[in-house]
Amino acid sequence: MESKVVDENEEGPVVPMRVDRFGFVKQEHGPTEGLARSRSAFEYQRDERRIRKWRKMIGVGGSDWKQYVRRKPHVVKRRIRKGIPDCLRGLVWQLISGSRDLLLLNPGVYEQLIIYETSASELDIIRDISRTFPSHVFFQQRHGPGQRSLYNVLKAYSVFDRDVGYVQGMGFVAGLLLLYMSEEDAFWLLVALLKGAVHTPMEGMYLVGLPLVQQYLFQFDHLVKEHMPKLGEHFAQEMINPSMYASQWFITVFSYSFPFHLALRIWDVFLFEGVKVVFKVGLALLKYCHDDLVKLPFEKLIHALRNFPEDAMNPDILLPMAFSIKASPLSLSLSLPSPLLPCD
Amino acid sequence: MARRADEEYDYLFKIVLIGDSGVGKSNLLSRFTRNEFCLESKSTIGVEFATRTLKVEGRIIKSQIWDTAGQERYRAITSAYYRGALGALLVYDVTKPISFENVSRWLKELRDHADSNIVIMLIGNKTDLKHLRAVATEDAQSYAEREGLSFIETSALEATNVEKAFQMNLSEIYRIISKKSLSSENPAPANIKEGNTLVVGAEEINTKKACCSAS
Repeated sequence: MESKVVDENEEGPVVPMRVDRFGFVKQEHGPTEGLARSRSAFEYQRDERRIRKWRKMIGVGGSDWKQYVRRKPHVVKRRIRKGIPDCLRGLVWQLISGSRDLLLLNPGVYEQLIIYETSASELDIIRDISRTFPSHVFFQQRHGPGQRSLYNVLKAYSVFDRDVGYVQGMGFVAGLLLLYMSEEDAFWLLVALLKGAVHTPMEGMYLVGLPLVQQYLFQFDHLVKEHMPKLGEHFAQEMINPSMYASQWFITVFSYSFPFHLALRIWDVFLFEGVKVVFKVGLALLKYCHDDLVKLPFEKLIHALRNFPEDAMNPDILLPMAFSIKASPLSLSLSLPSPLLPCD
Repeated sequence: MARRADEEYDYLFKIVLIGDSGVGKSNLLSRFTRNEFCLESKSTIGVEFATRTLKVEGRIIKSQIWDTAGQERYRAITSAYYRGALGALLVYDVTKPISFENVSRWLKELRDHADSNIVIMLIGNKTDLKHLRAVATEDAQSYAEREGLSFIETSALEATNVEKAFQMNLSEIYRIISKKSLSSENPAPANIKEGNTLVVGAEEINTKKACCSAS
């Protein structure tokens, strides 16, 4: 990925820090690694063209969006799958998730939640604030603006929906949103996701018993067997089940430990098309590494499933692969046998 | 498939790390398995896994350690990992009394979900934060005695007693297993029938090893 070095001269008295283009502090590697690869004139022009097209599609402040989606849903879907331009991401996410409508319908509600309500989860949230995207400049500073807004959004949600409250993992979702929009916008997008403004509500992923996580893991297990029988068989033999590697994929929608540029591309599609893409990306990762994975014994398997090679995480390779996977409606409609059999 | 030299071991023990969120479980694990400590660690979502092979009482023991998310709601996922575990490291934070008060709830969790003969060690972590200490060593010590747990205080940051804590737990497991295999017909902990663990008692080593490498 392209990345740039923060110009040390512009940093003034602050200790210079090397961050990537998304604001994550870079590991101290050799001096050559990760140095800015200047974008070619061709790439630059292509990006400019894309942004112009997107602006036209959205209209001023999103005014033309709904009409465009109604008229040309396939064009929208195709463009979103190619990636929303970063400078428009925050706005488009709010449009496709339905959160913009929620915000407009509920003026003043967020402020009310922040100022007047108290939450039983406050201490839990505080405990995790500094452990959420700790390597991002926005969230690094103790009690800085990033940590404060993360706290506010999570606290507001825990009050708004006391059944869900606060669950570890929500911080990564909220944190990712806060890098692209204001606190209040991020809050309503969280509401749109968990309450299901457009797609299946996500709240079951965080409710007591984590029922939706268990269901998704169960379905994912079936999909692996269906799409990659040999790997499925190998997993069964080595006693590997999806809860060992995929819980985070679902709970944080790939925002916990995947390269950020990939997470963003997945989020573009996730917000427009729903949770199906999480299954598909998961399957694509396994498919990409299939021939290696089927040879590995238990421990190495677990390691490999948590450390995919860099080339597997290239969105321009992984996503087309994910889109080509046809997750059968049958597998996706499977529900857990009752009583719940976690993990088996 | 031939097993490589670095994978040879006499025993394979499964251990779980449990305790409230934020007490330092993941850093205890990284200190023990990689001698690393991360000041900027992320909260654990779900479960993490690491192994280390070391010599205990003259035997080569491989420990497979499952590190679990501490938040109560995650028990829906993590409690499945207690099954078949031979050891549990129950961690609290010496600067957070509530994490010590919750130890009894974690013990109940283990009683409900783990094998009854699991070897439990109580660990008071973060002793480096001397000026913030809020749980007295004696209180934890006497609690551990009452409950029949072994006890140690550690600092994952300063690498104090971390090695020792794991060593103690592993040797206790080893002693119990070797004693049992001498004195009883059917000594292994009842875990072979548990589907998703790789834990083995003394007798199952050879067959299990063969099975693991036959991929």
